[in-house]
Amino acid sequence: MTPSLAALHGNRACALAAIAAGCRFFAGYPITPSSEIAEQLSRELPRVDGVFIQMEDEIGSLAAVIGASLGGVKVMTATSGPGFSLMQENLGYAAMTETPCVIVNVMRGGPSTGMPTRPSQGDIMQARWGTHGDHPIVVLAPASVQEIYDETIRAFNLAEEFRTPVIVAYDETIAHLLESVVIPQRRTVATVTRKFARGDEQGFQPYAETEDLVPPMARPGDGHRVHVTGLTHMADGFPTQKPDLAARATRRLLDKIEQNRDRIERTETFEVEDAEVLIVAVGIVARAARRAAQDLRSAGARAGLFRPVTLWPFPEQALIEAAAKARHVLVAEMNAGQLALEVERILGRGRVARLNRIDGEPIPPADIARSIREIAA
Amino acid sequence: MNVHVPHPHRAEIRLAGSGGQGLITGMHILFRALALEGKRAAQSQSYEPTSRGGFCYSDLVVSDELGDYPLATRLDMVAALSQVGLDRSLPLLRPGALVIVDERLTPDPPREGFDLHVLPILGRAVETGSPRIANVVALGALAHLGRLVGDDALEQAVRLETPAKYADLNLAAVREGLALVRGLGASTAEA
Repeated sequence: MTPSLAALHGNRACALAAIAAGCRFFAGYPITPSSEIAEQLSRELPRVDGVFIQMEDEIGSLAAVIGASLGGVKVMTATSGPGFSLMQENLGYAAMTETPCVIVNVMRGGPSTGMPTRPSQGDIMQARWGTHGDHPIVVLAPASVQEIYDETIRAFNLAEEFRTPVIVAYDETIAHLLESVVIPQRRTVATVTRKFARGDEQGFQPYAETEDLVPPMARPGDGHRVHVTGLTHMADGFPTQKPDLAARATRRLLDKIEQNRDRIERTETFEVEDAEVLIVAVGIVARAARRAAQDLRSAGARAGLFRPVTLWPFPEQALIEAAAKARHVLVAEMNAGQLALEVERILGRGRVARLNRIDGEPIPPADIARSIREIAA
Repeated sequence: MNVHVPHPHRAEIRLAGSGGQGLITGMHILFRALALEGKRAAQSQSYEPTSRGGFCYSDLVVSDELGDYPLATRLDMVAALSQVGLDRSLPLLRPGALVIVDERLTPDPPREGFDLHVLPILGRAVETGSPRIANVVALGALAHLGRLVGDDALEQAVRLETPAKYADLNLAAVREGLALVRGLGASTAEA
């Protein structure tokens, strides 16, 4: 059996990928420019005995998603900036309770209601730090419709494997871009399901410190004790404020992502081996940057592109390697400077320049090329 | 070979107008027609929060290169169904680009610098059955003058991409568009 080629726009690809990954529950509240995901899943989920619920708001949406996941189902919600802000408290709850869930954030112009139909990359830092406290998070940033499909599946797999919320963040432009996508045969899609508790029910610890730092989850009704709390808790699930135990609990949450960076990080590089000028970008801007790098190359400049597909945890080592020969690094993004903060932290501010756009328009290749010529001059 | 496309591997095409005119549907049809001929494309759009009115466009970038930049950078051709749609697209048009406008909806087209065709698009749509099929009339003219896709593929795509109960109306519309410009193709080389 061969894979099939389909013409899909980004949000449709996201919805179909969710089904292929095993998603069987979606709760959400419609918001431009993400609504097509909910619309599509309202039709697709009943066909696979799944559940679709339109909730009263985004707070309830993520709450319902967390509840369904705790029931043992693969879950997703989708939103945009204002809704994503409302989800932040429950996002932290999902991280603390180690509840696998996928949250799609289609980024539009902000802050607040902003420009609902215009693209933006203004949530790069909110996705990392939006919820309070030290928490683990995984954020994936696809740049094409094909990659929305592939990364949505990967988001489910990472959420399940590491019992953690995973955010898929992409801009309005690729959300509504129509491209040809290779849809793999369903049985060839590699899917991951979380570890459920097995064996002896007596003495079962719902947050046990296993070797991989990811405790097996008790499925309600199976017999193992279920204990879910947002309070800082010990291995048995009961709350603690003892300094050593509290630090240990939070440290495990962070370490299960930190120590698995090699499994989680994904990057794309283009012509970085000899690059004297390195562009760093995500989403639609990365595609403009790739074109700019091509154009600069054909004019004799050694330009390359580094694109973090996994946005958080930021692929730090991969960036250092890609920038090894770069005298200049340009961070191009549709915000006032967010990704640049991380790149500057890693590479130092000396050689990092910025190109920002906050008018609701994508950054075209020519602007990136011009910016490179200016900083290299 | 397409006379309007300087780079053989990339063509940038726009339907411009106002929200509610079916510009996105129009480009979905063209995307499908190109796919039927084995060509690769990316379709994008810009719209405003109102469901009707406002500046709206739908772009198609035809490219052989996988993962090529999918947004328009320098338009090779545009069909415009509103003056604002035309005006706001002009800065992105390359010199000599094919410009198709409606004689009533776009009263002030650029008289110089482009391969301009002023056509009774809305009039033909109304005569054919509905002003709402002006998008498909325009598409027929654009596809033929721009030599983008064969007439057969275009008609097949219209059937595939429009609701069954309006298929005949839309087919009539695309044929009207083709008929409007049939025989005009040679003039485009003068641009």
